[in-house]
Amino acid sequence: MSVRKLSRRSALRGVGVTMALPLLEVMNNRLATAAEASVPRRLAFFYIPNGVVQSAWNLSEVGKNYTLSQTLQPIESVREHILALSNLDRIKVAGTDGHAQASTCWLSSAAPDELSPAGYPLKRTIDQIIADQTGHETSFRSLELSCNPYEDNRESIYFDNISWFGHGHVARSLRNPAEVFNRLFRIDEHANSSSVLDLVMEDAKDLQPRLSMLDRHKLDEYTDSVRTVEKQISRVKSRQADITKLNPQSPVKPWQAMRRDEFIQVMGDLMILALQTDLTRVATLMTGPERWGSPLNVEGWFEKPIQHHSWTHGQHNDNIRKQLERLDLFHIEQFVQLVKKMQAVKENNGTLLDNTAFMLGSGLSSGEHHVCNNLPTIIAGRCGGAIQTGQHVRYREGTPIANLWSSLAQAMGVNLDRIGDSTGSISEIGVG
Amino acid sequence: MKTIPTRLRLFFFCSLIGFTGWAGQHVLRAADPSVERFDYHKIRGRQAVGSEQRRHEGELDFAISGTSRVQGMSPFGQQWSNGAHLLWDGAVGQSMESSFEVDEDGTYDISIQLTVAGDYGKFHLTMPESSLSRDVDLYDPRVELAPLLEFKNVRLKSGTQPIRFKLIGANAKARKFNNRGYLMGLDFLQLVRKDPPPDSVTKTVSKEIDNAVPPPAKSFPADNTDTEQLSSSEVSKLTTEYCIDCHDGENKETEFDIGKVNELQAWHASPDVLRLMRDALSDHEMPPKDAKQPTEVQRTALIATMEFMISEYLRQNQTIPATVMRRMNRYEYNNAVRDLLQLRGDIYPLPEKTIRAFDPYFSPSTGQSPRVMLIGNRTLGKNQVERQILTGVSPFAIDLQAEGGFNNRGAELGVSPIFLESLLRLGRSIVHSPEFDGYCGLTGSLFSAPNTDNKEVISDVVRKRLKNLLEQAFRIPVDAPMLNRYHHYFAQRLQETDSFRHAMKDTIAAILASPGFVYLAESSATADTALLNGYELATRLSFFLWSSIPDEELLSVARDGSLANPEVLDEQTRRMLRDPKCHALTQNFARQWLRLDQLVTAVPDFDRFPEYYSRIGCEQWKFGLQMMIEPLLLFDSIILEDRSIMLLIDCNYSYRSDELQSWYGDETPFANSKNRNRFNTHRQQYLKRRLTDRRQGGVITSAATMTMTSSPLRTNPITRGAWVATVILNRPPPPPPDIVPPIEADDRVIESGGLTLRQRLVQHQDSPTCAACHSRIDPLGFVLENYDAVGRWRNEYNSGLKIDSSGELLGKLQFKNVIDLKDALLDHPELFMRAFSEHMLSYALGRELALSDEPGLEKIVSSVMTDRGQFTTVVREIVQSRAFRYHAKAPTIKETP
Repeated sequence: MSVRKLSRRSALRGVGVTMALPLLEVMNNRLATAAEASVPRRLAFFYIPNGVVQSAWNLSEVGKNYTLSQTLQPIESVREHILALSNLDRIKVAGTDGHAQASTCWLSSAAPDELSPAGYPLKRTIDQIIADQTGHETSFRSLELSCNPYEDNRESIYFDNISWFGHGHVARSLRNPAEVFNRLFRIDEHANSSSVLDLVMEDAKDLQPRLSMLDRHKLDEYTDSVRTVEKQISRVKSRQADITKLNPQSPVKPWQAMRRDEFIQVMGDLMILALQTDLTRVATLMTGPERWGSPLNVEGWFEKPIQHHSWTHGQHNDNIRKQLERLDLFHIEQFVQLVKKMQAVKENNGTLLDNTAFMLGSGLSSGEHHVCNNLPTIIAGRCGGAIQTGQHVRYREGTPIANLWSSLAQAMGVNLDRIGDSTGSISEIGVG
Repeated sequence: MKTIPTRLRLFFFCSLIGFTGWAGQHVLRAADPSVERFDYHKIRGRQAVGSEQRRHEGELDFAISGTSRVQGMSPFGQQWSNGAHLLWDGAVGQSMESSFEVDEDGTYDISIQLTVAGDYGKFHLTMPESSLSRDVDLYDPRVELAPLLEFKNVRLKSGTQPIRFKLIGANAKARKFNNRGYLMGLDFLQLVRKDPPPDSVTKTVSKEIDNAVPPPAKSFPADNTDTEQLSSSEVSKLTTEYCIDCHDGENKETEFDIGKVNELQAWHASPDVLRLMRDALSDHEMPPKDAKQPTEVQRTALIATMEFMISEYLRQNQTIPATVMRRMNRYEYNNAVRDLLQLRGDIYPLPEKTIRAFDPYFSPSTGQSPRVMLIGNRTLGKNQVERQILTGVSPFAIDLQAEGGFNNRGAELGVSPIFLESLLRLGRSIVHSPEFDGYCGLTGSLFSAPNTDNKEVISDVVRKRLKNLLEQAFRIPVDAPMLNRYHHYFAQRLQETDSFRHAMKDTIAAILASPGFVYLAESSATADTALLNGYELATRLSFFLWSSIPDEELLSVARDGSLANPEVLDEQTRRMLRDPKCHALTQNFARQWLRLDQLVTAVPDFDRFPEYYSRIGCEQWKFGLQMMIEPLLLFDSIILEDRSIMLLIDCNYSYRSDELQSWYGDETPFANSKNRNRFNTHRQQYLKRRLTDRRQGGVITSAATMTMTSSPLRTNPITRGAWVATVILNRPPPPPPDIVPPIEADDRVIESGGLTLRQRLVQHQDSPTCAACHSRIDPLGFVLENYDAVGRWRNEYNSGLKIDSSGELLGKLQFKNVIDLKDALLDHPELFMRAFSEHMLSYALGRELALSDEPGLEKIVSSVMTDRGQFTTVVREIVQSRAFRYHAKAPTIKETP
């Protein structure tokens, strides 16, 4: 057993997820038996709510030898694996809440006229579009996580979810690490359901003709879910031996007792585990929900509970801006830690990071005026060679971020002519 | 489907209030000072059982002031009623002053039980309003009950009855108390009604049943009838002169474009735009104060024209907005499973069921809210939630509230693979939990195998059991294919498990995950609007009142079709309101209506407000956990005693723990306590308290509301104003613009510059775009500035700066302080009665209200006004409304790829 494997194992234990066997061996066993020799590509998103302080974020030079800005300092240690992108925009949807549309429209670039009954533009998001294809081969079609620590329900679902199956149909994020763990690794969770599914599916068929068109659409959420779960059950069962061998242990601490950085890292670990064991190839991780005006503790970084949202509106005050910059830095550090963890996972042809596109971003560039131009966008990993990392690229002003969605789809092997307001693709990302 | 942008939608929603209710009448009439304000405490639809003989406990039911205090009497014996009395001491010449409540005018026999002891004095007892008086000597060497004082045939008026015990001297043998004076003790006062109480008439709901026939066109408010309507060109001329400068579609700040619809014809198709304009005009919100103003004649004519066009539109469009089918939320799922399987209690502890009663107290059949309740807080309390009730059973994720609404709307209640997984797991884990058999009332009748080997008999029994259960679970008539399906599944499981019980449990688990159970499905309407069938109506009704499925009695009237009869429907409504299950109206409706969840994450600054925190073990608990209970118990008492909803505005009683009482009353609450175990976090006794200070009482000024609408280091008048506008008036302000100037987070920083928070906020609203909204919202927050960030009264700011709490309500009613505000709301009860009815109707329907709901609301509000806001009237009128009993043909929607 190599030193690297040991250190990785202890790193995982440190934050609560432990593994009886080094994953690599399990992975290798599985992949050796797989018909394909190539390692799958994965895509993951790391979402920061409420935008960032632009002045401390923006990069001035382009190319390989760009100088890191104040907020982006932590990526120095991994910069050869990073592609930084500037001037990518989202369509701003006038007349709806700036924060809710940041989370609902970020990954879909939904047009303003795609309004849901609740008044938000909603479309199938890029992670789900890609999962339509990659999900055929994995136990779970996708994984949605949110490090939303709030126990009040101050805001609606539009602030707490970035992944959508479509119009009004949310791919609801999981907030509790223990629950995530059980879903991924506890075989008995999935046992014994298949005959029940046949039965309730018959009930749905009974119900359907009685309903109006509108309600039939609503019922589709149920029947689609049944089909997804059906596939999931058989695929999870086929991986049963791997997982038993892996013998992962659930996070020990309850999430309510976790420090802020711990919470994000544990969720990140679970996401990485799911990606490296090929339980899924597409994942989204929100570090927190949009707006949600409730104060929050960030232990070790701030003495008193912080107020992220109201700070963003007060950032022209120097003191407030400095605090906010520190919070942005905190998020970048969390991201870089996860990037390094991906880098530490060996795969046949390199590392997990090499085979993944791990993108950090926000639906707002700055929360101060709810601006959607020049969204913070950083991609770590080469996605199996599709991404040319180690540089900063500045696009022409007004380039839709939808072009990036389209390119990421391509990198993941999904052909997509158009999404949202896309006008083309991103030249640094391709089929690879 | 037709949708409206959020901003417009919010305007649209908030303008609901404005129809003819009052805004259409341009100016609210000033309250006539010569007319005495109605005392809403008189409204009480339910009397306590045995109210003809009502005992007022000294320690519970009498106003406490001066040196009066409660003394527990158990050391002296068990003879004192409720184990305590009200103790007073003073010098000769001084009086113990108190009062108690009489529910109804009448003739009563009064008996008073006092205490005697060695240091008790001679008193002159008077009740000034009934000319009753008597002298008593309370000396006795023992501590004992005094002989009962009795007064026959005393006329008493309803309301507060003062009572006075003047210390006039002492028995020669009596010793002095503390060398100062003498004591007295009041155990109880009992009233026995002599004349028969007036018939407790059961009012019937509005006789005129609102059936499918389109209601008549709305008649105009009286002062509009004479106003000529304007022609298209006249309207166009006025809007060009006063509106178009900003609302031309070019100005980015307004986003509201009149230019495009400057033709009357176009307006006909845009009733929502009409409504916005009408309300902005009638509220004097537009044109902004510093812009050119139309004359009152012009304004009136414009409003009248728009009113006419809106009513024309409503006359021609009798549609009911379509409701998206929804699934149960997790609160409802818990109740539905509990009721379906007759469980002894909940299946999982839900933080959203805030009130945790240690002795169940919510019994509408008693007609009275108890005076003492032992209660914990599940949302915020210590160790209230984590413990599972049934081993291995955990709820699915919390369902969030819709913006400006409740967590029972289809658009937000989705089903995803993750949800479905939880649902499957839940059903299984409930029936197979080790505690289930002892917890379920159907263990014998549903799960035990029939005592026979005859396969046919067994099969018949299983079919019969399943048929009953499926009907109740799915709220539809059970047909043969469905029954066969479940029977087949049962047989399959029986074969696999070889256990009747196990197979039946698996079958029940499947039912609990079926779409037939989790969805509140309504069959497609055959006409544009159609009456719901019996099962559907029963389902709406039970989810409205109980947040659960119908019971057998409701199902039986659904089955035989009689529920379609409005009288049967009303009878069921009244019956269901007498069932303890309607506690869901407090736990689910009131909690969300009041936005009480926001108290969960309120964090008053730890150093500035240390008394808000209590350290227990290594964790800090917040006092919010006691505050949160207070408004909910007030709501409980309104349901239990069928009182007026106006008590939510102003009320002369409240339910508080001793610690909560100290929070309001003491200079430094819990003065003698350290930060450890500063206050109780587990459970507390909440007692009914009489309030004599009108700065307290009702929900607005409750410590819960004041704390959750504050920032850590100061109050937040805009948040408070928005809360009042949204919750109390149902006129939620539009979302704030993208550019929000920041205000210092700490009021001490602001005050060090010599400015009050109010002055600082006003400085920031120099732009007319900001001022237009803020002039409407902020005064409703400024008037509450006397309550600090944790809800305690202050006469001035910390720095000594004066508090300016004056303002006006909706641009019309002036007030100088919070009591004026309460009076303004009491003098114009239609404001709150309408807003409350709207909130509750929206909850009952599981959807946002629309323009076409206005005529129905008009009817509800007018009955509620007639009955002075009586709670059951609100509920019964909502149930009888067309919107509740009918549903619409849903529009076809375009497929999105």
